[in-house]
Amino acid sequence: MRTKLEACLDAINRVVLGKEPQVRLALACLLAKGHLLLEDLPGMGKTTLSHALAKILGLSFQRIQFTSDLLPGDILGTSVFDKDSGQFVFHPGPVFAELVLADEINRATPKSQSALLEAMEEGQVTIEGATRPLPEPFFVIATQNPVSQGGTFALPESQLDRFLMRLSLGYPAKAAEKALLLGEARRELLPKLDPLLDHAELAALQAEVSRVRASDALVDYVLRLVEATRSQAQFAWGLSPRASLALLAAARAWAYLAGRDYVIPEDVQAVLGAVVGHRLRERADATGHGGGTLVQWLLREVPAL
Amino acid sequence: MLKARFAPYWNRWLARRLPTAPQVTLNQRRIFIVPTRVGAAFGVALVLMLLAAINYQSSLAYGLTFLLLAVFLVTILHTYRNLATLVLKAGGGNAVFVGEHARFQVRLESGGRAHQAIALGWPPEPLEIYDVPANGAWECRLGQAAVRRGWLRPGRMRVETRFPLGILVAWSWVDLDLAALVYPRPLPGELPLVPAAGDEEEGNRAIGRGADDYQGLKPYQPGDSKRRLHWKAYSRGQGLLVKDFAALGGRELWLDYESLSGDMEMRVSLLCHWVLALSERSQAFGLTLPGLHLGPDEGEAHRDACLRALALFGVAR
Amino acid sequence: MSTPQALPRVALTWLLVAQALAILPHFLHVPLWLAGFWLACVTWRVQAFRMKVGYPGPTAKIALVAVAAAGAYVSRGTLIGLDGGVVLLIAAFILKMVEMRSRRDGLVLVFLGFFVVVTSYLFDDSIATALYSLLPVTALLAALIGLQQSPGAVVRPQATLRLAGQLLLQALPLMLLLFVFFPRMEPLWSLPVPDKKGITGLSDNMSPGDVAELSQSTELVFRARFEGPLPPRRDLYWRALTLEHYDGRRWSQGYAAQGYGAPPAWRRQGNPLRYSVVMQPTAKPWLFGLDVAETDRDDVRQMSDFRLQRRRPVDRALLYQVTSWPQAPREVNAAPQGMRRALQLPSAGNPRTRAWAEDLRARYPATPDLVKAVLAHFRQEPYVYTLHPGEGGADDIDQFLFETRRGFCAHYAGAMAFVLRVAGIPARVVAGYQGGEPNAAGNYIQVRQFDAHAWVEYWQPDTGWVSADPTFQVSPERIEQGLEEALAKEGTFLEDSPLSPLRYRNLGWLNELRMTWDNLNYGWQRWVLGYQGEQQLAFLQRWFGAVDGRVFALSLVGGVGLAFAVVALFLFKPWVRLRDPQQRAFRDFEILLARQGLRRHPGEGPRDFARRAAAALPRQAAAIDAFAHLFEAQRYAGEPAASQALRDALKAVRRALPWRPGVSSS
Repeated sequence: MRTKLEACLDAINRVVLGKEPQVRLALACLLAKGHLLLEDLPGMGKTTLSHALAKILGLSFQRIQFTSDLLPGDILGTSVFDKDSGQFVFHPGPVFAELVLADEINRATPKSQSALLEAMEEGQVTIEGATRPLPEPFFVIATQNPVSQGGTFALPESQLDRFLMRLSLGYPAKAAEKALLLGEARRELLPKLDPLLDHAELAALQAEVSRVRASDALVDYVLRLVEATRSQAQFAWGLSPRASLALLAAARAWAYLAGRDYVIPEDVQAVLGAVVGHRLRERADATGHGGGTLVQWLLREVPAL
Repeated sequence: MLKARFAPYWNRWLARRLPTAPQVTLNQRRIFIVPTRVGAAFGVALVLMLLAAINYQSSLAYGLTFLLLAVFLVTILHTYRNLATLVLKAGGGNAVFVGEHARFQVRLESGGRAHQAIALGWPPEPLEIYDVPANGAWECRLGQAAVRRGWLRPGRMRVETRFPLGILVAWSWVDLDLAALVYPRPLPGELPLVPAAGDEEEGNRAIGRGADDYQGLKPYQPGDSKRRLHWKAYSRGQGLLVKDFAALGGRELWLDYESLSGDMEMRVSLLCHWVLALSERSQAFGLTLPGLHLGPDEGEAHRDACLRALALFGVAR
Repeated sequence: MSTPQALPRVALTWLLVAQALAILPHFLHVPLWLAGFWLACVTWRVQAFRMKVGYPGPTAKIALVAVAAAGAYVSRGTLIGLDGGVVLLIAAFILKMVEMRSRRDGLVLVFLGFFVVVTSYLFDDSIATALYSLLPVTALLAALIGLQQSPGAVVRPQATLRLAGQLLLQALPLMLLLFVFFPRMEPLWSLPVPDKKGITGLSDNMSPGDVAELSQSTELVFRARFEGPLPPRRDLYWRALTLEHYDGRRWSQGYAAQGYGAPPAWRRQGNPLRYSVVMQPTAKPWLFGLDVAETDRDDVRQMSDFRLQRRRPVDRALLYQVTSWPQAPREVNAAPQGMRRALQLPSAGNPRTRAWAEDLRARYPATPDLVKAVLAHFRQEPYVYTLHPGEGGADDIDQFLFETRRGFCAHYAGAMAFVLRVAGIPARVVAGYQGGEPNAAGNYIQVRQFDAHAWVEYWQPDTGWVSADPTFQVSPERIEQGLEEALAKEGTFLEDSPLSPLRYRNLGWLNELRMTWDNLNYGWQRWVLGYQGEQQLAFLQRWFGAVDGRVFALSLVGGVGLAFAVVALFLFKPWVRLRDPQQRAFRDFEILLARQGLRRHPGEGPRDFARRAAAALPRQAAAIDAFAHLFEAQRYAGEPAASQALRDALKAVRRALPWRPGVSSS
C-alpha cells in the first residue's frame, strides 16, 4: 500500500512541479479525511493540484467557480418540473461529486458559502425537506485569494475551522519554473494520468491511518500545544477541541506517509502550520490571520517532551 | 518613611529575583513566608500554655503545647506548599475607556495539587481570593481603575496565601507584564469634519446597511449621543437604550484632530466619541491625527485601530 | 485584613462541634447550670446564623456577662481560684460563641478553646482524658482551617477535618521529640490548684469506723514497683502517718509530729528494699513507704515519726523512688522520758480495760512478755474480724474487748495501744495500708483504699520501736491474703459496689483485662505524667549517657530538623516529578550533549535533536542514533518500557563521547 502511495506522490509531483511538501500535505489531508483550503494568488497551480489529486485517486471531480451571484441552488442542485412525468425531478448540483473544487470561495455571498460548508460538515445535503447523502468519499478543496479585493466575503473563523488544513502553494522555485516553461502545458498532462487507487484501497488507507499509534506522551504534547494557545497572551483566542482532533489526525496521516505506524512529535510539528495557521489570530493584529508567527512561536517554545 | 527609603532597593532586588515574565511558576526562589499577626497571637497563646504546664507540672499541658508548636512548624510546610508549583499566566487585559475598570485576566494553574484560598491583587486594594482545583486552572479577572489613557500597567502583583491555619503567610510578588489599553473618555461635541477632497458627488459605494432611517433600539454604550436616548424605555425599566439610525451612504468623513480646539485630552475625547458614534452607525470615516492617517474605512477592526491610535496619541509608551 | 470578614459555614460548624467537645469533660466538675446556659447560647447562635434571630446587642451582651458572673459566684462562692476561674473561662468561651460575627472573633474563640482543653488536664490527667482531648483539638484546628477557606469555596466539612487530622498526625513526631527533650523547669510561681474535696483516703485522725468506711472504696492509692522480687505480702506495711493522741474516742496525729522537728535517729541495717512509687493525688502531704523509708526527692523529709512528708500536698500524681531498711533499729537510744507523748491517756474511761492492763503489767514485768500476752489474748479469745462491729458506746474499748469482741483493724490497734499505754509501754497507732495486689503483667503492686490498715508500734529500751499487728492474731487471712479472703465467710467485701470488677477477680479473662488496663495506666503515670525534672534527667541519662546541655540542645534541634525534613519529604514527594524513567534517561542524554555544546530547544523533538547531534558529532552518530531510536520506540511506538535498555544505550553514548569538548576519545 505504501508503495502505491509513493507512486501517487510521484505522479502528482510530475504534474505539479517543485511543490513536494505541499503535495505531501495535501495527500495527508485527504488521508485524514479532511477538507483542504488553498490560499494563493491566481495561477499558482491550485486547480492543477486538485485535478491531479482527483485523477490519481480515481475520484469524480467537479469544479464550482464561486461568484458573487452564485446561489445555494447552484451548488446543491434544484428540483425542476418534469413535463413528461408531471413531477418535480431533482437535478443534483456540482456538490455531488467525490472531489469538489470550490474555486475562489470568498467571492460568493455568505449564504452560498455556508451552503457548501454545511454540506462539508454533515456529509449530506438537505434540499426541500429531502435529505440526500453525498458520495463517499467526499473531499472539498476550496481556494481563496489572499489579497482581499472589493466585493469579497472573508470566511469567518467558524467556517475556517472546518478545513483540516490551509496550504499556500506560493511561487515555484526557479528550477521548477524553468521546467514548467520548457515542458508540456500542465493541463494537457492531466488527461494522461491514470488512477492509481480505487475507492476500496482509499478507504483501507484511511482506516489504516486512523489506526496509527499516538502514545500518551505524544497526546500530551498536542495538549501542551493547544493549552499554550489558550493561555498565552498573544493569542486572540485558543484552539478548539476540533482543532486538536484535526492536529492529531493530520499528524497520523503524516506519520503514515513517512512509513511509520506511530506518531512522533516531529510529525505534529510538520503539519502544525497547515492545520492551525488559519485557526489562530494574533491579539495585537486586529486584521487578518497572522497565524504564521504564532505557529513559529509554538514550534519554538512549547516543550516537545 | 523607612519603607519609602528602602523601596528602590527592594524593587531592584525583586526585579532581579522575580523578573517580568508572562508566565511564572512559584518556587522556593520566589516564595517568602513569615508568621502573621494571628500567628503571633498563636505564639502568645502557646507561651501562656507553657507557663501553665510549668507551674502545674502538667505533662499533658506540656504535650498539648508541644503538639500545637509542632503544628505551627508543620504548617510552614503546608502554607508554602499551598503556593509552590502554582503557575500564574498572564491573560490579556481588555480595552476600556477612562473612568471604567480595566479587567486583567490572570490564569492560575495547578501544578498537580489543589491550591486553596490564593489571594491576588495589587495592595493597598483588597486582594481577591480564589481556589484552584487539583490539575485544574482558574481564570481570575482582576479589576483596576483606568484613570489615564494609554497603556495601563498595574505592575507587580501580590499573590499570597494564609491557608491552612492563617498563622503564616506565604507570598510572592510577580510581574506578569499585564497591560490594558485605556481609550480616552468619549466626550460628545461638535463633529470635526473635513470633507474628503475631490469626491463631492453622492458616493457610489454602498456603505452601511440602508437609508437614513430609524432602525430600532440598541443598548447604550459610552459615546452614544444622549439626545438619541430612548427615555421612554428607560422609564419602563428596560435599561438605557438608544435609537439607532442607519447611516447615509455618501461622502467620506474625515475626523480631524487639527480642526478641533482645546487641549489635547479634550480633543482626543471628542474624536473618541465620534469614532464610536460613526462606527455604531456603520459609517465609513477616516481619522487624521498629526502624523497619522487611518482609513477611510468601516468595521470593528477600523474602529479598534482608531481607538488605539487615540489612546496612544501623545502618550509615552 | 482590616475589614471584618464573614464567617464561613464550615468554620461555624466545626467551632460548634469543638466547643461541645471541649466543654464536655468539664461537666464532671463545673456546676450544671452551665450546661443549660451553653445549650441556650448555642441555640441562639445557630438561629442567628439562619437569620431567624438577631445577634445580641450591647445590652444583651452585658446582661449575659452579668448572668454568667453571678452564676459562677453563686455556685463557687468566689471568682478567684482555679475552680471559679474555670467556670468564668468556660462562660466566656460560650458567650464569645454567641457574639461571634467576624473571622477575628472566630480566632479568639479557637484560642479560648485551646485554653479550655488545657484546664481540663488540671482536673483529670488519665489516658482517657488525654486521648479524648485530641478530639476537641482536631475540631479546633478544623475550625481554624475553615476560617481561612475562601468564602466561595464549596468544601465539605469532612474534607476540612481530614486536613486537620493530617496536620496533627504530621505534627506528632515533632511533638514527641519536643516532649522528650524540652527541659522541664520547677514551677515559676504557685498557682491555685483544683479543689480535691471529693478525695477519700486516710486522714490525720481516726475513729474506729473510718477505716471500715475506706474499705468499701476500690480507688487506687498508689502503685509500687520493686527492684528484685516482691517481698511477701505480710511484710508490706505501708506507713502513712502515726496517731499518737487519744481523746477517749478518736486517735489523732500528735502536735509534735505535725511540726518539723529534728529527724529521728536510726541506723541502716540489713538488706534494703528499693522500689518506686507512683501515688495518686491525695491532697495530703504524706507519702507512703515501708519502714524505714528514704526518698530521692528534695521536697520530701523524714519526720520524727518516720513518716515521709512532702512540702506541699500531693495534688497530682507523684512518682518517687524509695529505699527502705526493714531491719533498721529505730530510736534505740531515745531517753525514756522523751517517750511521754507515747504514753498519753485520757484521765478517765474504759475502767475494765485499765484494770485488765494493770493486771497484765503485774503478771508480766518484761515488755516483750506483756505484748505477747496481749496478742495471745486476741488469738485465743473468740474475737471476730468484721466490717460490721456495731455501734460503740461511751467506754467503747471496754465494750469491744469484753462484750462484743467484734471489730475491724482500727478497733484492735486502738485497743492494743490503749492497753500498752496503761501498762506503761510507749505505744502509738500507725495508719497506712497493708498488702496490695501484685500485677503480674507489670511486676508491681497496686494498693487500693480497701487495703487501708491500722497497726501498733511500741517502744522499749535497747530495741527501739517495734511494730505489732493485733489484727494478724484475729484474722491472719487479712494479712496474708487480703481483705476479700478475710471477709469470705461474712461476704461483705465491697458489698456496696456489686459491679466492681474487683469482685470478679476469679474470672480469669476479666481479671487479666483489668490487670492489663491497670498496667497501661501505671505506665502512663510513670512515663508520661511523671516525666518531670529528675525523671526526665534519668531517662535521658539512660539513653544518652551523661547529659550535657549542649548535647541536649543539639539533639533537640537536630531531631526537630530531621522530623521536619521527613514531613517535608512526605509532603512534597520530590521523587514523583521525575518518576518517568524514560524522561529521566532523556534528560541525562541532554545533559551529556549539552557538555558538547549541543542544547535542545524546548520545542525541538527528540528525533530532530538526535539528527542534529549526530551531524555535529559524526563519530558518535551511531550511539546517538541508537539511543534516540530506542527512546522513540519506547515512548511513541508503544514498545514496552525497558528502562534498563535505555540506560545501557545512554551508557554507550557516554562512553563514545569525549569527556570534554575538544578532547577526542580514544
